[in-house]
Amino acid sequence: MIRVRGLGIQFHQGRRRNLRLRELLFHGSKRNPNHGTFWPLRDVDLDITAGEAVGVVGRNGTGKSTLLKLIAGVLMPDEGSIHLDGKVAPLLELSAGFASDLTGRENVNLVGALHGMSREQLRRNFDHIVEFAGDQVRRSIDAPVRHYSSGMRVRLGFSVIAQLPHPILLVDEVMAVGDAEFRAKCYDTMEHLLAEGRTLVLVSHNESDLTRFCTRGLFINDGGMAVDGSMSDALTAYKEVVEA
Amino acid sequence: MGHSVAAVWDNRTVLRVLVHRDLTLKYQQSILGYLWSLIEPLSMAVIYWFIFGLLFDTQLVDGGSYPMFIISGIFAWAWFNSAINESTTALTAQSRLVTTINLPRQVFPIGKVLGRFAEFLAGVPILLGAAYLFNGEVTWRTFVGLPLAVALQFLLLIGISLLLSSVTVMLRDVERFVRLFVRVLFYAAPIIYPLDKVYESEALPGWAKRLYLADPMVGIFQLYHSAWFPHEWPSTALLTTAVVGTLAVLALGIWVFRQLEPAVLKEL
Repeated sequence: MIRVRGLGIQFHQGRRRNLRLRELLFHGSKRNPNHGTFWPLRDVDLDITAGEAVGVVGRNGTGKSTLLKLIAGVLMPDEGSIHLDGKVAPLLELSAGFASDLTGRENVNLVGALHGMSREQLRRNFDHIVEFAGDQVRRSIDAPVRHYSSGMRVRLGFSVIAQLPHPILLVDEVMAVGDAEFRAKCYDTMEHLLAEGRTLVLVSHNESDLTRFCTRGLFINDGGMAVDGSMSDALTAYKEVVEA
Repeated sequence: MGHSVAAVWDNRTVLRVLVHRDLTLKYQQSILGYLWSLIEPLSMAVIYWFIFGLLFDTQLVDGGSYPMFIISGIFAWAWFNSAINESTTALTAQSRLVTTINLPRQVFPIGKVLGRFAEFLAGVPILLGAAYLFNGEVTWRTFVGLPLAVALQFLLLIGISLLLSSVTVMLRDVERFVRLFVRVLFYAAPIIYPLDKVYESEALPGWAKRLYLADPMVGIFQLYHSAWFPHEWPSTALLTTAVVGTLAVLALGIWVFRQLEPAVLKEL
């Protein structure tokens, strides 16, 4: 389902990064390898088969989110390749790209369409999406999203992405937000989606979320894959590093 | 290059959605809404007519109407102006969308060009009305010149917007620089004065004239004028410059965008 080979991405630090235009245009990103740069991920190989639920742990700033963004295709690797069999439903950011001046209804249609839902699919799923987001959102679905509370935005964002028919689901720390009632709904949805055979990659710091959903665990450390095994293996290794 | 064209074409629904959103956002908070896209160029036309038509008494060679001359180019200019200025922020202003949804990134600048094109279309009825009022001459040039000019301008703007949107992410100064430079471009093309004035000018040295004529926009605006002033039909040399220049800018834009894309995504 997801095949990653020799994946690496390089970031630049400091002000120099803006002055590299000529370099970028004429030398690609391969020249001048070491000055002020670092590799949040390098030499990563990973195979995820259909229906697997994979949890990713690691300290802050060690490339977990970068890995998800690379899989989602919103970052491009400097080395290696990523191959996906099927489309991705990415839950990378809470607001899911909503425009704050548009109404909830317009935003659902906008974000749904941008993620590849047809008009027909949108029309069919619209009520379901709004209902899932809760009463509060339903009452203000025709108000601009800028009047929504952050909780309402998150709920609507999650509802849209959860309704996407895409086989691969990428989730980055999103379930931590929202009240207990909504979290329970999220858990139900996740379980439901997994039961349908979707593939999940979940980045989280929440141990119970990870052990609840994930059958396989990855621990990313120092820009590479430190552990690729069961979720408890990964969590154990992670805790050792954090507590050391 | 063919690959990115295909990717954009496959995402034409996305383009439609983006343009729709763009227009909704732009006009929903204003009472006059769409009318603004007409008021702005028309008020500019009145100002230029007042200065150059009334005060400086500009005459066209074939005795055509000077107000019509301005109007025949001003809507196209408004499209140029707004598309170029807005394309600089096409990626930075929508970074949320760009970094959460996997789309061919080219759709963001191209969407800006399309959105401003929709406003240009809104001005076409006014253009036709003016042509009727000021006795614009309808010839075969009307039916060839106008579509050809629109097509060339479209491709030129796509090239420019791809170039500017990606470079702005790496170098934010570009936005301010472009604002200034676009003003220069306005006076550096035969929009409010006839091209003959440039040919006839004795003050301009030869190299400056050659530089002036190398601008593909000169040929494009001559096409716009020639739709109602057959006399203004561009020479073969001018037409060739317009076509070759447009394609060169388009190719450059596509290439630069592709080269910068990985770095742009990291930066947003």
